[in-house]
Amino acid sequence: MNNLIVGEDIVKIYGEGDEQRRVLDQVSLTIEEGEFMAVMGPSGSGKTTLMFALSGMDGLDGGRVAYRGRNLAELDERELSDLRRNEMGFVFQQPTLLKNLNILDNIILPALRNGKESAAQLTRKARALMKRMGIESLEKRDITQASGGQLQRAGICRALMGKPSIIFGDEPTGALNSKSAEEIMDIFAQIVDEGTAVMLVTHDAKVAARTQHILFMRDGKIVSELRFLKKNSPSLDQRLRLITERMREVGI
Amino acid sequence: MYGRLVRNDMAKSKLTTATTMAFIAAAAMLVFLALFMVVHLLGAIDNLMTQSKTPHFMQMHSGTLDEERLKAFAQKNSQVEEFQVLEFLNMEGADILLGDNSLISNVQDNGLCIQSDKFDFLLDLEGRVIRPKPGELYVPLCYFKDGTAKVGDRAVIHGREFRVAGFLRDSQMNSTLSSSKRFLVSQEDFEALRDLGNTEYLIEFRLMDLSMLGAFETAYIGAGLEANGPTITYPLFKMVNAISDGIMMGVILLISALVVAIAFMCIRFTLLAKIEEDYREIGVLKAIGIRVSDIKKIYQAKYAAIGAAGCVLGLFLALVLKDRLLENIRLFMGESHQSFTATLLGITGIILVFLTVMAYVNRVLKRFKSISVQEALRYGTSGEPAKGAQHFTLSRSRLLNVNVFLGIKDVLARKKLYGTMLVVLVLAAFIMIVPINLRHTLESERFIGYMGIGQCDILINIQQTTDISEKAESIVSHLAKDKDISKFALHTTKAFKVKKGDGSEESIKVQLGDHQMFPIAYSEGRAPVSEDEIALSVINAQELGYKVGDVLTLVIQGRERAFKVSGIYSDITNGGKTAKAVFSDKDTGVMWCTLSVALADKALVKTKLSTLTKAFPFAKILDIEDYAEQILGPTINAIGLARSVAIAIALTLSVLVTLLFMRMLVAKDSHAIAILKSLGFTNNDLRWQYGTRSVFVLVIGFVLGTLLANTLGQGMAGGLFASMGAASFRFETHGLSAYVIAPLAMALSVFAATVLGTWKAGSIKLSENIKE
Repeated sequence: MNNLIVGEDIVKIYGEGDEQRRVLDQVSLTIEEGEFMAVMGPSGSGKTTLMFALSGMDGLDGGRVAYRGRNLAELDERELSDLRRNEMGFVFQQPTLLKNLNILDNIILPALRNGKESAAQLTRKARALMKRMGIESLEKRDITQASGGQLQRAGICRALMGKPSIIFGDEPTGALNSKSAEEIMDIFAQIVDEGTAVMLVTHDAKVAARTQHILFMRDGKIVSELRFLKKNSPSLDQRLRLITERMREVGI
Repeated sequence: MYGRLVRNDMAKSKLTTATTMAFIAAAAMLVFLALFMVVHLLGAIDNLMTQSKTPHFMQMHSGTLDEERLKAFAQKNSQVEEFQVLEFLNMEGADILLGDNSLISNVQDNGLCIQSDKFDFLLDLEGRVIRPKPGELYVPLCYFKDGTAKVGDRAVIHGREFRVAGFLRDSQMNSTLSSSKRFLVSQEDFEALRDLGNTEYLIEFRLMDLSMLGAFETAYIGAGLEANGPTITYPLFKMVNAISDGIMMGVILLISALVVAIAFMCIRFTLLAKIEEDYREIGVLKAIGIRVSDIKKIYQAKYAAIGAAGCVLGLFLALVLKDRLLENIRLFMGESHQSFTATLLGITGIILVFLTVMAYVNRVLKRFKSISVQEALRYGTSGEPAKGAQHFTLSRSRLLNVNVFLGIKDVLARKKLYGTMLVVLVLAAFIMIVPINLRHTLESERFIGYMGIGQCDILINIQQTTDISEKAESIVSHLAKDKDISKFALHTTKAFKVKKGDGSEESIKVQLGDHQMFPIAYSEGRAPVSEDEIALSVINAQELGYKVGDVLTLVIQGRERAFKVSGIYSDITNGGKTAKAVFSDKDTGVMWCTLSVALADKALVKTKLSTLTKAFPFAKILDIEDYAEQILGPTINAIGLARSVAIAIALTLSVLVTLLFMRMLVAKDSHAIAILKSLGFTNNDLRWQYGTRSVFVLVIGFVLGTLLANTLGQGMAGGLFASMGAASFRFETHGLSAYVIAPLAMALSVFAATVLGTWKAGSIKLSENIKE
């Protein structure tokens, strides 16, 4: 498989003077095309910061990130925006939908900005995606009239509209009950099957167990990793056991 | 704890705090100054009128006078305390030279008089009764104010030399609104010039009890005494004295009300924005059982601090400025000796401003009660769906660019928030367009129509001279031979008596001649054509109670003659009381003659003016534009100044409010901005969105402001002119200024302010605003 994103010696520092804190301390990693990856670690370990760094949403204090060979530091604000709009999708813990727009409008918004397809074409596409996510009845609803799980699905629809190469998920199931969380993970698995890479930041071992490549972070460093080469083996229970053991070993 | 919270909060929003404080300070200052000046003005007028012993009743009269009969009336009437007849020697402006300045083009009736013995004294600037020595001339203050004369100037009146010994306060004729001006000379000089001017009489009375004025007036009229001229009473003198400064104070009070309103909008907007920003915190505080009144205290404390600081600043500014604003009152009316009361009242006004601000803050804070804990904690915002904008959806919008759509949608979804900005922009457009249109209307050729004159090029006036008719005839025969002149019309003004319904008679000035050659606009009916028709000015028609078609009876040479009212027209000259008719009358004395002249080639106006002036030195010959300018000049200038000030205020206001607004919007929208950026919207996209919001609000604001200016503004201006005699006042709109330049200037200001105010939107850190 080809490398999609390569991070080398990424350093991110927060605060100034005595209060300086290295949130990412020379982190290196590679995300391959179509890879299903999870980053685990306790609060403050730097996993979300790593996601912002890899997606170009935040600048670096050291090291480099390359997307399909293009150094993100060399792209200007416009090129970075284009990259996010055309190549990436984001799903956050709290649904980041715009309050003024109904659910359908929220879903088609970034794709419409691209200007490649008409509102009508995009609406058709969005309806198909909503149907797949089981939220087809919500299209005209206001975002305050839907549940957290429904909004999260809408967020995923929005992320998928532009046919991205990668979807970043920051604790996408963190605010959901276990049934909804499982359904969302099923959707992510399907997305990966269709060829889109997914990188999830989570502290939930059950979520990580659904992925194939798990990075363990502590104090801004990647301290360990796990790879499952086959999709369905070992079994989910075995994977879960392996992950929790590894977490104990590295002290997270 | 409140102190710390307030300080922290203010430090975070310096611009907003400073702006709100500035508006409160401005409002406090204006309210103080207006009240302070009102007290001073009233006090100074009272002082002046007491010192000069202004007559309670005055009848102006020209023509013969039977002093014995008047004396007998005064003695017989028990209300009369004192009585006198003063002479006013009317002088032609051309015969008065002050320093190097001739009063030739002055429109006032200038005249000489001597100091009175009993009352109606002319005072010097120290408030003392002036006793001029031979050769000394005391000049009305208005000629000091406009720079025509200064102390020590050489003055020449009808060839007799004087020295300007000082300036005088005249409790009757101080105001520029009063059309006559009295110059004071010694008895000796007066006698020497007596035959060179027209004598008018001021028949004056002081009464035992001013409240009996009405009864006295009736008695005077009933006695059939001298009455060829206007009657003026004590309250009217007082009003005329108060009116110009009074109008200024009214305007200041109006502006302060406006500024208070703007301060309210700032407060409302900042508070609403702050509440939305703090929505989650407020929810948390409510959830853990903190009482609403306690939460409110934090906000109240902040605005109490801003309000108090603003009021103190306003008071300080007012104290610095007050003396400059009092200059005019001091000059024309002297001291009021009311400083304490004035300051006290001013401070009371400021306290009122403060209390109003706090009351308003409390009103806005009422919405705390409706904050739902559940919504606040779950969404961090109020859950009310955007009313009325639901059908405006991206999926159905085919034409709009995404950014433009998002901008408009935001305005529609948060109408309350943008309502504040809208109101400010409506006001800004209003205060910009009204003076632009008003000034343009005054300057327009059509406005001459309101002055009862048809559109001509040159106006020739023959008045205050002997043999007026013969002189007019000589000009007529000259004009008839001149090939450069395309047409002209002679109008002779004579005074007749009009018989009123109750049998009493009143004097009316009727302009006789052809009224179709230079037509004027009639608010009703048309110009008189046949001998039995008459047209009345608006004020005459109102006061005499005639409508078009009514029959009016004039007494001509003792014989009654009926006329049909053919039309009613606007006239703001001669106190707005004139009439026009075409009948011929040879016997009644001529008051003045006017010739309206049109030239074949307008470029010749200047040359023709000088030839005519040379040929007919007894006539006042004016370019029609100069004439209009003389009458309206000060008003046009004042409105021109008001226009510049209004434009400056409107633009500053637009910039300031937009800037403030956008800064706060960006702060408030930081989460939404972060979402959009994470979705791949560029900084440029964001600028477009905010620009659209401003422009959208601006367009609505400007349209509403324009509508308001052309309805309410026109009505206000119309009311003003109607009181002066102009009916059916309509704005002459200056399309380019009002509908191209003004909106463009506003659009540029608002756009610049938006770009400046939203500059920070680009630097919003995604990681900080989107992280959980």
